[in-house]
Amino acid sequence: MRLLASIYLLVILGLPALLSQELAAQDDIQVVVSIDRDTIGMDEQATLQVEIIGETQNLPAPQMPTLSMFEVYSQGRSSNISIVNGKVSASVTYRYLLLPLKPGTFPISRIAVVHQNKRYEGNAVQLTVASSGRATSPKLDQRATDSQGKTRDYFMEAVVDNKHPFVNQQVTLTLRICFAVQHYGSPELQEPTMTGFWTEVLGNKAPYYQTIKGRTYKVIERKYALFPTQTGKLTIGRSAITATIAGRSRRSRDPFDVFGLFGRGQEITMRSRPIEIDVKPLPTAGRPKDFTGTIGEFSISASANKTEIEVNQPVSVTFKISGVGNIKSVAEPTLPELDDFRVYRASSSENISKLKDRIGGTKVFEEVFIPKKPGRLMIPSVSFTYFDPYKQQYQTVRTRTITLNVRKPEGYVAGPEVPYIVPDMTIGSRASDIRYIKEKIGKLRPVGQLIIFSPVYLVVNALPVLVMIGMVVARRRRERLAADVGYARSRAAWREARRRLARAKSIASVDKASEFHAEISLALISYIADKLNISPYGLTSERLAELLAGRSDDEELVPDMLRFLQECDFARFAPSTITDEKIDRALKMAEEIMVRIGGVKFV
Amino acid sequence: MIALLIVSFLSATCLATPEEDFRAANELYEAREYSKAIDLYLRILDQGEESPALYFNLGNAYFKNGDLGHAILYYLRARRLDPADNDIVSNLEFARSFTRVQMAGVQINPIKSFLESAVEPYRLNTLAWISSLAFVLLFCLLILRFGVGLRNSALRAGIITTLVLLLVFSFVTSFKYRHDYLTSRAVLVAEDCPVRTGPSEQSDIELEAAPGLVVEILSESGDYFNVLFQNKRRGWIRKELIAVV
Repeated sequence: MRLLASIYLLVILGLPALLSQELAAQDDIQVVVSIDRDTIGMDEQATLQVEIIGETQNLPAPQMPTLSMFEVYSQGRSSNISIVNGKVSASVTYRYLLLPLKPGTFPISRIAVVHQNKRYEGNAVQLTVASSGRATSPKLDQRATDSQGKTRDYFMEAVVDNKHPFVNQQVTLTLRICFAVQHYGSPELQEPTMTGFWTEVLGNKAPYYQTIKGRTYKVIERKYALFPTQTGKLTIGRSAITATIAGRSRRSRDPFDVFGLFGRGQEITMRSRPIEIDVKPLPTAGRPKDFTGTIGEFSISASANKTEIEVNQPVSVTFKISGVGNIKSVAEPTLPELDDFRVYRASSSENISKLKDRIGGTKVFEEVFIPKKPGRLMIPSVSFTYFDPYKQQYQTVRTRTITLNVRKPEGYVAGPEVPYIVPDMTIGSRASDIRYIKEKIGKLRPVGQLIIFSPVYLVVNALPVLVMIGMVVARRRRERLAADVGYARSRAAWREARRRLARAKSIASVDKASEFHAEISLALISYIADKLNISPYGLTSERLAELLAGRSDDEELVPDMLRFLQECDFARFAPSTITDEKIDRALKMAEEIMVRIGGVKFV
Repeated sequence: MIALLIVSFLSATCLATPEEDFRAANELYEAREYSKAIDLYLRILDQGEESPALYFNLGNAYFKNGDLGHAILYYLRARRLDPADNDIVSNLEFARSFTRVQMAGVQINPIKSFLESAVEPYRLNTLAWISSLAFVLLFCLLILRFGVGLRNSALRAGIITTLVLLLVFSFVTSFKYRHDYLTSRAVLVAEDCPVRTGPSEQSDIELEAAPGLVVEILSESGDYFNVLFQNKRRGWIRKELIAVV
């Protein structure tokens, strides 16, 4: 029982510890140690820089080894934090001033940080302290001396760290511009020609002072990383610097500048010498088949965004190759044939970094794996081969195997490409799960009948349109009748005429023949006057004939009308017996003439 | 009992109203005489009349009879007439879960998917009447404005609001109509549904589909339909293997 309890405690307490170590291992912390000069004299000083890079904000301080051969002074720290897509990346740089206590060559190593119980050690650097007060290389001494043995006011030199590199191995080119006299402004640099190299500028170093042949020079350094792309002899061309130094030029003397206060200085140009590089081919012996030409020092890792998935669900696997060397030449790792997965390339990205004058970085390839079947499926180890120029041999690094636990989805399922059949499942066995039939048939309607095509729907929608059209027309007419008297009279003419004829008929009697004929005569004249929007009073037969002349195609209209009016006048002024027959005939004739006048175009 | 039902079934084939046929078919269904129930339900359809309940019961009968393709076909027809009926939606989903083959790589158009899910619970008739109501209301307001001659800001705001409503509902109604009636959908009803690369027996079989899958008919050639699967794969399939929804 106690044994069981111990195992239980071990599992309970040990598992989180293991997990935390695993998590800590994922927090990559890098310690980069660099020193601003390789060689100094006893009277000089060097700056040691320790940069701690990591993906956490709480980066620890470095643990410095005992450097007994130097006096060490801290020069403070600077930090930099960036958050991109929620991912924190931070770096803290600590600077230390080293003052030598004795000459010699001293390696500086074992600078480390401890983070989450794990120790991260930085690279080693080496500093040579010359026994003389100032340290210079014999070559630099030579360049500083002119043909007469005097020190030059200014000069430049170009040096490479390796004249016999392998193809695609980094060569660091350093341009040093040294001034013993004051110079104005920034010197203009003409970059050297570097045919046959892939070039990356490493940048300018902060100017420093150095004593060469007993004279103090201000030194400006510029560095390039060169990767030879072909074997054989390659040449790094000359570079040139144009600068303005103190001292008045005779030619440009200004007559008004009596005291030389405004002297422009002297423009000078200095050139470096071309450098020949002998590029060696890579050894063919022992070259692995999967080698794609990458040189440097690299590591590879693989990680999956999830390991618990269902069949046909994608899982994203990230292959990360990082290290020092020409990261651009890193090719995608070759995946073996996988029957259990469909694999798609999702993306690739690269990040170039410059650490301690070495080009390196990280290249990330993302692949999407879609499992075809359930079970424990393995994404096998993937290898990456590079050539290590320092060890002069090919190296192969590998990822760890990733195990995926692939579940069956619920129900079932498989794509046409994935003939995965679930165990036999008959409909009858689960038929009771469907909902029961409906007892009432509901409202039946003809098959395919749609309300939007039914007459009711069309009428309902057409009705308001028709009503609106009708109301708008009526409103327009009403407004016109109100505004246009002529139009109103013309429209009302017939109604008015009919009213007068009715009145005439009502007064028609044996003793009122005169009034009857006067009324129908007035009805006819008023009708024409209304149509023409003129006063009916004073209209004579002749005037009416004039108004109607030429307006109608009916040539008999005017004579018939004049005859009718004449008959009316005759009956009015020579009254005779009137009969019902005569009344009807007169009314009918008046109405007929009005109808004929209705066809006349008055406008 | 069954014999009695069969007799009633035979007698029902003479002169019976759809309601009587429906009741008789339901009794056959309860007696597990699914094939005969199907025949009787189909007879009502042959008379040129339909209802959501009729399609629903027909789907159930086919399902019980083991014909998944036709079951899904009639559930889809029932849902088109009454998309709000929970029984129909439930049985359709249930039947679909038995489809042997599920399309891989179905890509969903977010806008279309949103519109489909927005209009799915409503009948075409409901949407059409709402559009019509907005139309009538708009014209009533226009009559007040142009027929009667009323002029005020409230009326103007009412016209604009109603116009916007009318446009929205007209669009939604058109989408529903197009989705439900103009797009020619079909269900695979045969047990074996070889999908070929061309409209002939000599063409290669591209994939083996399964009953219950819904496809869109793009064109036809001879005895074949050119169909589009949900995952945008196309192929040719014999006409008798599928049924138009």
